Amino acid sequence: MDKLLLDRIMGQVSKPARYMGNEYNMVEKNPEDVSIRFAFAFPDIYEVGMSHMGMKILYHLLNERADTYCERVFAPWVDMEQKMRQTGIPLFTLETKSPVSDFDLLGFTLQYEMSYTNILNMLDLAGIPLLAEERKEGHPFVIAGGPCAYNAEPLADFLDIIALGEGEELIEELLDLYGDWKQSGESRTAFLERAARIPGIYVPSFYDVSYLEDGRISSVSPNRDGVQPRVSKRIAADMDKTWFPERIIVPFMDIVHDRIMLELFRGCTRGCRFCQAGMIYRPVRERSPERLLELAEKLVQSTGYEEMSLSSLSSSDYSQLELLVRQLMDRFAKKRVSLSLPSLRLDSFEKEYIQEMQKVRKTGLTFAPEAGTQRLRDVINKGVNEEDLINTMTAAFESGYSTVKLYFMIGLPTETEADLRGIADLARKVTDCYSRLQQAGQRKKRLKVTISTSSFVPKPFTPFQWEPQDTMEQLREKQQFLKQALRIRNVEYNWHDPEVSFLEAVFARGDRRLGRVLLSAWKKGAKFDGWSEHFNMAAWMEAFEDNKLSPDFYAHRRREKDELLPWDHIDAGVTKSFLWMELQKALRGETTPDCRLDCAGCGIRRLGRGLC
Amino acid sequence: MRVIIEYTKEERVKFISHLDLMRTMQRAVRRAGIPIAYSQGFNPHPVMAFASALPVGVTSEREYMDIILAEPVSLPVLNERLNHALPRGIAIRDSVVTDDKTPSLMSLIERADYRVAGAEWDWEKAVTAYLNEPEIIVEKKGKRGAVSVNLKESIHAVMADEDDPKVLHISMKTGSKGSLKPEIAVKSMLELSEQHFPGDESFGLPAAVHRTGLYILKDGEWVTPLALKKD
Repeated sequence: MDKLLLDRIMGQVSKPARYMGNEYNMVEKNPEDVSIRFAFAFPDIYEVGMSHMGMKILYHLLNERADTYCERVFAPWVDMEQKMRQTGIPLFTLETKSPVSDFDLLGFTLQYEMSYTNILNMLDLAGIPLLAEERKEGHPFVIAGGPCAYNAEPLADFLDIIALGEGEELIEELLDLYGDWKQSGESRTAFLERAARIPGIYVPSFYDVSYLEDGRISSVSPNRDGVQPRVSKRIAADMDKTWFPERIIVPFMDIVHDRIMLELFRGCTRGCRFCQAGMIYRPVRERSPERLLELAEKLVQSTGYEEMSLSSLSSSDYSQLELLVRQLMDRFAKKRVSLSLPSLRLDSFEKEYIQEMQKVRKTGLTFAPEAGTQRLRDVINKGVNEEDLINTMTAAFESGYSTVKLYFMIGLPTETEADLRGIADLARKVTDCYSRLQQAGQRKKRLKVTISTSSFVPKPFTPFQWEPQDTMEQLREKQQFLKQALRIRNVEYNWHDPEVSFLEAVFARGDRRLGRVLLSAWKKGAKFDGWSEHFNMAAWMEAFEDNKLSPDFYAHRRREKDELLPWDHIDAGVTKSFLWMELQKALRGETTPDCRLDCAGCGIRRLGRGLC
Repeated sequence: MRVIIEYTKEERVKFISHLDLMRTMQRAVRRAGIPIAYSQGFNPHPVMAFASALPVGVTSEREYMDIILAEPVSLPVLNERLNHALPRGIAIRDSVVTDDKTPSLMSLIERADYRVAGAEWDWEKAVTAYLNEPEIIVEKKGKRGAVSVNLKESIHAVMADEDDPKVLHISMKTGSKGSLKPEIAVKSMLELSEQHFPGDESFGLPAAVHRTGLYILKDGEWVTPLALKKD
């Protein structure tokens, strides 16, 4: 790597600290002292990638190993990419500025579908063959994990290994194996064959997929001996014993989530039917308050962060939240660490917590009723009612809040105009509630209510995995309707671009044939698809056309009960029969109680037990 | 207790912005457990002020900030604890206690010295061309668009190094009215002396710019802010 050249280039790009590294708590090792070099790649810019908790955990975990040096790499922003291509600088890691192609393993985390073209772009910038079958001895093995790994079929052609479930134990086993293999001098295939025996490791090239004439899948089967017909996800059983870093990198730059994220638990017992995370991260496993306080103490000390958030899918469901919040407040308020509770659920949010939170600093309130009527909330099993919402709002307003954000989804199964009207009704009730307090002289500040709608994207491993997505036209009409209906004083309306949601739906439930579309779209310039300024729908539509594949087949088609889905050979814990049963209940408007109250028989107990 | 701290910003962190540096210092102070005073008001923040923003990409051997402590700490302890809590590439060199009434460092600093190292040019020629011009108008980009300034009025002195032909010394005026980036001065001098400046946007200035010091005028003499030490 020509460091002088790199230096000059960095002097000419925006936010060069994205590529600089050298942050506090960055791990420094001599690459010559280790036998395994692991490049942890996040297919988006630094500010996004550094906000991701999984990366923090795995980066520090891998660097605990004496035989391994884990370094980081992010997608260079377009100005940097242009300069790198002009001057022939390959994709490099932040720690040692080494070319990524020099590494043993290159691990991508798959957080959202719209980052897939960035993966191809990063491989290309690294000078690594995009197609797994074209990689030879000496090329890194390309691995992927994260939530989208549960159906990474559209990326199957580009990945050597897919890791399913929680990585803490899995990655250690894989690296142990890699170390042995590297010394043995055996072939790449030999390593993959051995890796495929590790529970949770899926080697896509070891499976053949055949299709029916109408495009549906007819079979997925292993193409060699010793390969499991179904691969089960991995679970870290005991959260108190599961490794968690006590020092994390403190970026110089302002990143998206620039704070300590204290992970209270994994999984969620609510069973919202649209929510993939709620299904794939089962079962619920909590950390003890003692362990959390210990971690908080160490992290505050080792980072100097002035803010801490409690992180999990539904933090207010933590069984000892009151105790934990109180103790965190007692301990850290005097150290001027502010505490924020995101992902709030309406029904367990007590006024007292609001006051506790305010002791240090006031942040805006965010709620996600997701649907505008009780009927539709029952369909999606979002166990929140209007009374709770209004009570919570009242409590929040009384304690001084005047900014509220409400999140909804449009295009949910069975949605009608009445449900959309329900969103506006709810907004009006919130503003009325505030007005009453204002008239009583309790509130002086002007209210600001933000209503955001995202478009529903059916996801694998959810009860709605068989459901069609609304067409872009339908979604636009619904947005138009809401724009009118939400012309309410002090209410602002935000919505998502239906084109992006449409592509998300295609790739979320896509099969292997979409790899060709990805490749074509990337060649036509698609990258940073999640960034509106770069999103290029025309390139995508051409790519589908060139490959004679219809995106509607993936996004807008209702699947039959017995259709073989592209991810059926992956076992995420919840069974297909449970998901189907949940879908039927949804269509009947029946709810399913929280798993802490009553076991719904989702199937996760086959893989591990939690608080359910 | 008000303390002026002298620190470096070295090669490995030279691409962080001034805002990043401020955040880094605040967090280092927290990690070091130094009892910094917090401002009053709705959103209290640690009382910390910086002498002069260093352009992104420029290294420095002498930068200054001052902080107010809520309770006294011995300076050697403060230096050591802070050094331990800072990322590599930022190091505390020295610190002194100053009077609470000392005006802000930013308002006192009037001069910033730089060393520009680049092998591709004849600095003697550049300096001569500069000295021969009575007035040199350059564009300065600011938040409200470009403004024209006379380079001659922005520079105290320029000098090619006597021993090292690669090195140019340039002493810029700085102050509350804002200051000119050394890169603009160098570019202008090279243009005046008809030397090639790689202006094709694809490359940065192939020169290492290093700030050697910041100075205030005290009793007619240039001294570093450490001279504000309380007697």
